[in-house]
Amino acid sequence: MTPGEILAILHSGSSGSAEGITPIKHAVIWDMRMPRALMALAVGGALAISGGALQGIFRNPLVDAGLLGVSAGAGFGACLAILLFNNIVWTYVLAFAFGILAVVLSYMTGKIYKTSPTVTLVLGGVIISAIFSALISFTKYAADPYEQLPAITFWLMGSLSRANYRDLALAMIPITIGMIGIMLLRWRINLLSIGEREAKTLGVNTDLCRNIIIACTALATAGSVCMSGIIGWIGLVIPHIGRMIVGNDNRLLLPVCVAMGSTFLLIVDNIGRSITEGEIPLGVLTALIGGPFYIYILQRTKGGGSW
Amino acid sequence: MAVIEVRDLDFAYQESRKILNGINFAVEKGEIFCIFGPNGCGKTTILDCILGLNRVEHGDITIGGLALPHLKTDEMARLVAYVPQKHEHTFGYTCLEMVLMGRTAHTSFFDSPGEEDLEIAIDCLKKVGMYSFREHNFNHLSGGEAQLVKLARALAQQTELIVFDEPTSHLDFRHELNVIKYISRLVKENQISIIMATHFPNHAFYLENQGIPTRVALMENGQFYATGQADQVLSEENMSRIFKIRTKVISQAEAGATFKYMVPLDFSDGGQWDGY
Repeated sequence: MTPGEILAILHSGSSGSAEGITPIKHAVIWDMRMPRALMALAVGGALAISGGALQGIFRNPLVDAGLLGVSAGAGFGACLAILLFNNIVWTYVLAFAFGILAVVLSYMTGKIYKTSPTVTLVLGGVIISAIFSALISFTKYAADPYEQLPAITFWLMGSLSRANYRDLALAMIPITIGMIGIMLLRWRINLLSIGEREAKTLGVNTDLCRNIIIACTALATAGSVCMSGIIGWIGLVIPHIGRMIVGNDNRLLLPVCVAMGSTFLLIVDNIGRSITEGEIPLGVLTALIGGPFYIYILQRTKGGGSW
Repeated sequence: MAVIEVRDLDFAYQESRKILNGINFAVEKGEIFCIFGPNGCGKTTILDCILGLNRVEHGDITIGGLALPHLKTDEMARLVAYVPQKHEHTFGYTCLEMVLMGRTAHTSFFDSPGEEDLEIAIDCLKKVGMYSFREHNFNHLSGGEAQLVKLARALAQQTELIVFDEPTSHLDFRHELNVIKYISRLVKENQISIIMATHFPNHAFYLENQGIPTRVALMENGQFYATGQADQVLSEENMSRIFKIRTKVISQAEAGATFKYMVPLDFSDGGQWDGY
């Protein structure tokens, strides 16, 4: 297709038709590419804003959206669904449910300790992630190596190739709720990031605030991961690139994270789809493209505006 | 009416070991209350109780006529501001963003500070002479500069009471004096009340020399050993008893006024230098 044809199809609208355009071309743009592009925007934005918010409340620049076990939990849910039902709807449902369950378990593990919640929650997340990773390995071991194992491996590497409007609409419910919650509380993330004592004396109900943000990031991330599979790197690197460009004030940083995360995943997905005959899994490409890009930005800004 | 009143305050982190035992005091409007005592005597614990960071089970604290355990975090932050001893560095915010954080208690839960808050923050930075640093990274400031920005943040909270935890530790002579001068100016011009934990007896003397109503509490093992005027409480006998050091309070006439200050001379118990 030529760029002119694509523009004509876009201009004709989702249900319209244009002169000289076959229905197949119309369907490719509006029923395959468009939902996939929208999904890339939603997932990229959700992962980036969640990573940025969690880095703030845990006062730790190495944290990302997978921290509280969402990725490992969702991964196990998806593997289990592939193993037991081999049905796409069950994959979504179990991935989402286990993603949320993993956060709840991480949170409860962190609560066992009495010391600083920011440290113990991270520790809880590491432990729960390790358990779910082991369970993922076990499902791989138990899977049929010709049918199920490739499906599991492919899911774990991340892909948007199954995107359609119905799935997008479903995923947008938790993603939207999560992102709006984070956006509304973004000023208070600044305060949580300067420490428990100071935040409290400045008037922030730290426990309530932290719990709402954790719940919101869990919703946004689980909503993304259950559709796209595990896409690492965005939640870690996009917020850092944002910090180098606009500084650490979350009022500005988090909207920038959404814009950059969305754009980044859209571009990466297009590269992954078109660079070879087959599709390169997203998890592979985000790291391969994101890593050098991060180094480039680091070099350009000399780490300015970071911590 | 006193700005803050503390009655029969006891506090323990663990049942077995009482940190505070029967603390009583009140601070009036425009008054500075210095809490003075050796390391580990409970100064910071008192401050944490006042700030609502410690849950008080025995005793009453009322601030601005309101009983403390019933106050929410944001209500507390509109009554008491806090200038911590050290700031835990993580992400670098600009000085203006740091001061703006002082406005949080005046914004609603899902909101960010607005134009009016920004003006107040800028005004507070100007008051402590740090306006030219507004775009600087707070994490890169020197100790004295950081202390002034934290003071500006406390001012932005617009409270009647500010609590300082050792405001001049790690500062050089000039910055120490600078911080103390700003504190005395605040009290004089704005009639703010101040509670200050300090290790320096001369702070109390300096503030008294400036004509500011100053009271000192000398603490030992979770109790107030003596409370009153600086020269009565920080006497040579009391210093010898609590710190086991010999001191001399010296009076110096300067610019038509008498200035008092304290110099340490030696251990009063002979010390423990046998180990050498």
